[in-house]
Amino acid sequence: MKHVLITAAAAATIASGAMAQEVTLGRFFGACEDAGTDTKASVGEPCIIQSIINAASAEIDGVTVNTLPTDWGNYYDQIKAAYAGGTPPDVHVMHRHRIPEFAGLGALADLSDDLAAAGIDTSDWAPAALDAVSFNGGIYGVPMDFHANLWHVNMDLMAQAGLVENGQPVLPSSPEELLAHAQQVKEATGQDYLAADFAQFPIGVRLTLALMWQQDANIFDGDTATIDNDAARNAVTAITQLFDAGVANPQLNYADSQQAFLNGEAAILVNGTWVVDFYDAEAAKEEVALDNYYVADFPTLFDTGATWADSHMWAIPASLKANDAEGYAAALKVLAFINDHNIDWARTGHMAVRNSVLESDAYANLPHRDEYTGTAAIARDTPPSERYGAIQDVLNRELQAIWLTGKSVDMALADAEAEVQDLLDR
Amino acid sequence: MGRTSGQFRLKLNERQAALVLLTPFLAVYGVFLVYPFFKGFWISLHDWNLLAVAFNPDAKEFVGLRNYQRVMWGRDIEWGAFAQPFIQLFGLAVIGLAIFLRRVGRVSKVTAIAIGLAAALLFVLPGFHPGEGGRWYDRRFWPTVGNTLVFVGLTVPGVAITALILAAALNRETRAMGLLRTIFFVSQVLSVTVVTLIWQIMFSPRQGLIANITDLFGGSPIIWLTDERFAMAAIVITTVWWSLGIAMILFLAGLQDISRDLYEAAALDNASGVKAFWFITLPNLKRTITLVVVLQIILHFQVFGQSHLMTNGGPDDTTQVLVRYIYQSAFRDSELGRASAMAVFLFVIMGAFSVLQFVLGREEDA
Repeated sequence: MKHVLITAAAAATIASGAMAQEVTLGRFFGACEDAGTDTKASVGEPCIIQSIINAASAEIDGVTVNTLPTDWGNYYDQIKAAYAGGTPPDVHVMHRHRIPEFAGLGALADLSDDLAAAGIDTSDWAPAALDAVSFNGGIYGVPMDFHANLWHVNMDLMAQAGLVENGQPVLPSSPEELLAHAQQVKEATGQDYLAADFAQFPIGVRLTLALMWQQDANIFDGDTATIDNDAARNAVTAITQLFDAGVANPQLNYADSQQAFLNGEAAILVNGTWVVDFYDAEAAKEEVALDNYYVADFPTLFDTGATWADSHMWAIPASLKANDAEGYAAALKVLAFINDHNIDWARTGHMAVRNSVLESDAYANLPHRDEYTGTAAIARDTPPSERYGAIQDVLNRELQAIWLTGKSVDMALADAEAEVQDLLDR
Repeated sequence: MGRTSGQFRLKLNERQAALVLLTPFLAVYGVFLVYPFFKGFWISLHDWNLLAVAFNPDAKEFVGLRNYQRVMWGRDIEWGAFAQPFIQLFGLAVIGLAIFLRRVGRVSKVTAIAIGLAAALLFVLPGFHPGEGGRWYDRRFWPTVGNTLVFVGLTVPGVAITALILAAALNRETRAMGLLRTIFFVSQVLSVTVVTLIWQIMFSPRQGLIANITDLFGGSPIIWLTDERFAMAAIVITTVWWSLGIAMILFLAGLQDISRDLYEAAALDNASGVKAFWFITLPNLKRTITLVVVLQIILHFQVFGQSHLMTNGGPDDTTQVLVRYIYQSAFRDSELGRASAMAVFLFVIMGAFSVLQFVLGREEDA
């Protein structure tokens, strides 16, 4: 009897040794229940990323990927709590703007010396992509995209207002022209000119930031907050003039503003690259009012072209590299698989990070891709800071106070500057 | 019972038996409540970055009470009797009222002292303000405390009154009433995510039920969650709907304790309906009302999900509440020391209400 038990135990050990290495994965982008493993057929950010992950789990020998349940809004809080508790996921997605905070504390594994062996060719990454994942001389992640704010356009409304030339929308080149176009659309169609989430998520902040960068200004410089100035005032009033004229509604949140655009109630929606394939699919539907969908680069209203941008990237915790060689190798295989499927991820509308993809016909032929080729050159973000999240929150609060609660621009900018300064001083 | 079964019985005196029975509770209580509480207080005395300390336990620095100072105090803070005249004069008036009520014997000594102390705080605390050139170190903390008080101040009477009316209406032994009681209780068992999802849809200006009703009457829909005038009301309404159940059940239990004889006697004296409710039901429910109110106060000071999920604390921080600020400080900003200091502050407030409940409960026993 004893022998039988020992044999059984030994067999079990061997069996589990041969069993697949499980890689836990943390991500945002939202849930997709039935993504399948076809990375070419899925639509929308959540389903495209999940189909890539499912395919990785199915196709990489000896590795299964377990996607952990996480929530978009609280993603970084969850990841931080997981790190603090010593149980971070084996691979997780993050934004480039979080690298100073996470890598600065030693949370992330430096992948520099292991990428080539895992089949990831860093020389194929666009220079800006390599830059996005580099920190203090190390490489702390595998970049997946550049994403940026775009102008999503309802061409039918624009045409009615006489704002289409040679099949392209006529976009404003100054704040005055912005208002004039907006009034043209209102008079011709009765609909709003511009919609965006000014009420909840920081799309309004990103719009304002872009208009500040277009004047070669920024919200802080080193350790000094620089928000209470004319550049910010110009940026804010370029937007508030639309609300004052009744040609845009500041009270719509993300879902409502998107719905307004799809319902044909707004000529322009300011939102990111992540929705291009989704809106394209919606516009094709009979029951959706938006029919003639076009994507445009964020227009330059001031001196220099600029739009808010960021990068998604995949990282591995330092603890996995230090303590679990097999787990680390498996995690790298998953990152390599995601890197190999850069073209599939670009189907969302995001810009690819690999030169070989950027130069491919498959990439150029993606829907609407040729309409926003200028975006890569004007992509910008705030300077790196460990307090990125808190600073965004201050700006979001004070800007919302301007458009939602009628707080004076001067007071809001002064308060924003004081609070950002407090954060920089801490 | 036969003696045989007691052959191996341990002989415990009452004290030992009590100790044995209490041990599991004390162990759990100690590990999950007492220890974390003191740990939290300990953290609040440090400059403690959540991530940095996780990777390097020596990364924390003892700073004494500086976190408390940084959160609650400021530069050049002054005190004036008329800094916030309305609240402070109201506080003074309530102090006067407490003294008067005690003099004429309408309230007990303890109640008078409790009311008086609360009113004194209302007079003293709002008097602090930054002087010329001064400022609060944390500009958001006191407004956040204020929002939390407003939330509690609206929600607790809302829950108590609605639950009382429902309980009085449903206090009948018919099958329909039983069904209605269940229906009204059902919302209580839902999680905060479900509740806020339901109400986000209800409040949506595009597809929401409320917007459709206003539409029907030709009004333009209110954009509840992003309008500063309605955002707090929206999360209060949600919370009242959510927390009715327990309060209603407690009131029903209280109502069923009131003897039928009282109502019959009252009916003979020509008191029924509203009169009976006012002169018989309410006085007899006093203990239950106190219990419900204090429980609800303690519960709703900890509001988090409704504000976090429905309004993100906005617009312009009008629905930012204390627990959400603690959460953001600890997890978004990694400032565990600062967050713990705020949590200790919240504990003191809730502790004060627990003591009040205890005092009022004992007083009526006597």
